Amino acid sequence: MNYNLDYKELYNNFPSGYFCSLPDGTIVDSNKKFLDLTNYTREEVIDKKKITDFLSLGGKIYFENVYSPVLKLKGSIEEINFNFIKKGGAKFPVLVNSVEIKDKEGLHLYTQSAVLNISHRKRYEQELLIAKRKANDLSNELIAVNKELRSSSELILKQKLQLEEFNKYLENKNRQLSSFAHIVSHNLRAPVSNLLALSDLYSKITGLEDKDMIFSKVEIVIGHLNETLNELIESVKIQENKDIAHDSIVFDSVFNKTLEILHNQILDSKAEVTSNFSEVANVEYPKLYMESIMLNLLSNSIRYRSPNRIAKIHFYTEINNNEIMLTAKDNGLGIDLEKHGHKLFGLSNTFHNHPDSKGVGLFMTKIQIETIGGSITVESEVDKGSTFKIIFKKNI
Amino acid sequence: MLKKILIRNNVTIQGTGSKSMFLVHGYGCDQNMWRFITPQFKEDYKIILIDLVGSGKSDENSYDYDKYNSLEGYANDIIEICDALNLKDVCFVGHSVSAMIGALVAIKRPALFEKLIMIGPSPRYINDANYFGGFSQNDIDDLMETLDSNYLGWSSAMAPVIMGNADRPELAVELEESFCQNNPKIASHFAKVTFLGDNRNDLKKLSTDTLIIQSKNDVIASIKVGQFVHDHIANSKFVLLETTGHCPHLSGPAQAIEAMKQYLV
Repeated sequence: MNYNLDYKELYNNFPSGYFCSLPDGTIVDSNKKFLDLTNYTREEVIDKKKITDFLSLGGKIYFENVYSPVLKLKGSIEEINFNFIKKGGAKFPVLVNSVEIKDKEGLHLYTQSAVLNISHRKRYEQELLIAKRKANDLSNELIAVNKELRSSSELILKQKLQLEEFNKYLENKNRQLSSFAHIVSHNLRAPVSNLLALSDLYSKITGLEDKDMIFSKVEIVIGHLNETLNELIESVKIQENKDIAHDSIVFDSVFNKTLEILHNQILDSKAEVTSNFSEVANVEYPKLYMESIMLNLLSNSIRYRSPNRIAKIHFYTEINNNEIMLTAKDNGLGIDLEKHGHKLFGLSNTFHNHPDSKGVGLFMTKIQIETIGGSITVESEVDKGSTFKIIFKKNI
Repeated sequence: MLKKILIRNNVTIQGTGSKSMFLVHGYGCDQNMWRFITPQFKEDYKIILIDLVGSGKSDENSYDYDKYNSLEGYANDIIEICDALNLKDVCFVGHSVSAMIGALVAIKRPALFEKLIMIGPSPRYINDANYFGGFSQNDIDDLMETLDSNYLGWSSAMAPVIMGNADRPELAVELEESFCQNNPKIASHFAKVTFLGDNRNDLKKLSTDTLIIQSKNDVIASIKVGQFVHDHIANSKFVLLETTGHCPHLSGPAQAIEAMKQYLV
């Protein structure tokens, strides 16, 4: 089909700029659109202007150092973004495609270039750049805020752990205080009411001999009271000495020392005392306390042995739940825990009608163990024996 | 060490001659720009081509913004390459900014170069009271704006291909075919170092036998500037080519080769 296209007309009215330049850059022809874009007349451009005349310095540098070399090396170049200067000085962004036209011998005759106005696209690009910059700023801000939040959260967590630890410490302290108050009231009430009764009696009777007798009883009660008070003072000292130095304890050597101290009692009682510290041989613990704990447990077991059978007492260590545990087991009289369990570790409590009964030991033992952060528990059955279990340091 | 340097500057060596010719491209391009020149010297020279760090296929990771904040950094690279390759009595050919880099090398190590060929040199692009460099303060302001606004060349459509290449090895083939493509951020820094620099005082210190090749129509380094270089280098010759543009070795390679050969005879 023949539409009788007028190529000259097509060239001139084509919706992008075209121009043709000599190897030295001089523009020798252009279409109308190029002249419209640059605001020049044909007479002002043709044979008068070079491409570089439409460029400011940044564009010229790029033209000379990149555009021209690449065009020479490849014969064509595409999508190069320049800012063209219009007549009057205003600038507008363009994309330029160029191709070198050569003769048969390869001699460069002229260059053809197409110029596309990209003002709208450029504006859009600028908006995108601004949006991107804003998004970057916002993102950086968020990152900073996030970092801050994370560090405060870490701080809060740390404080929470500290508080929890402190709370545990306080709870323990509270328990100790409450049990201490209980012990104090319990142990002071009996002698004090005793004293009140004696003083009441004292004021009522008249005989000198009777008064002397009552007074001597008062002295005995005061002596007990004094002893009780001294023990309480001692226990307060232990509780306050929480940071007492730890020593490297070898269970065997402390136990052997205990055997030496109780040598006579063991001989007299004919008790069979055995031990096995092979599973855990050492522990870090205050030496004084360890000696006191072992002495109390062993002397208790000897003291409360059954008269009906040979006493068998066994001490051993083991690891239980990652905690070092010392167990002292005997086949002695045992304790009725339902009846006496609640006051087992109290001050001056005795559970047996035994001539040597003196309850201080277990109270002190418990105070010492708990002060270091451990625990002592008991399992017992009347006439079967008792088993004391000591955990030196509880896991939190 | 040698390998590291060769990779850093994408050093390529060709030719069978006994003498050495060391050619260095200028701002914006790479060693491809010598391809019309080198065939004419291959027989008489061992030809060493490099890409300045930050240009072409040099190791972009070696671009240290402090080191290359002056031409000294590039000059030291060239000295390192010459020493690593054990080059002596070199004929150094530097285009544009590399003409000045070559001058700095020759001042620092006069024994290294036998001859120095400067194509389109300029010791100072900006005009001042008693000097014509070609660029007015307005031009420079425009240039800075151009570099900062990222509007062309240095950020043209080609750039992302280069920038994204590290994790897209399949683009390597495409890059083989590419010329004069540079990381826009580095190109912008290099442009500032190149076009804001002032090496006029160095010219007097140069004693090496020098040829200045000047293109007749050069909007970057005009005849006046070339003449200034010639006037201030004691041992220099000046040749004007009937060529257009800042790269006569591309726009008029035959004339450039002729000028070089006459000088080197």
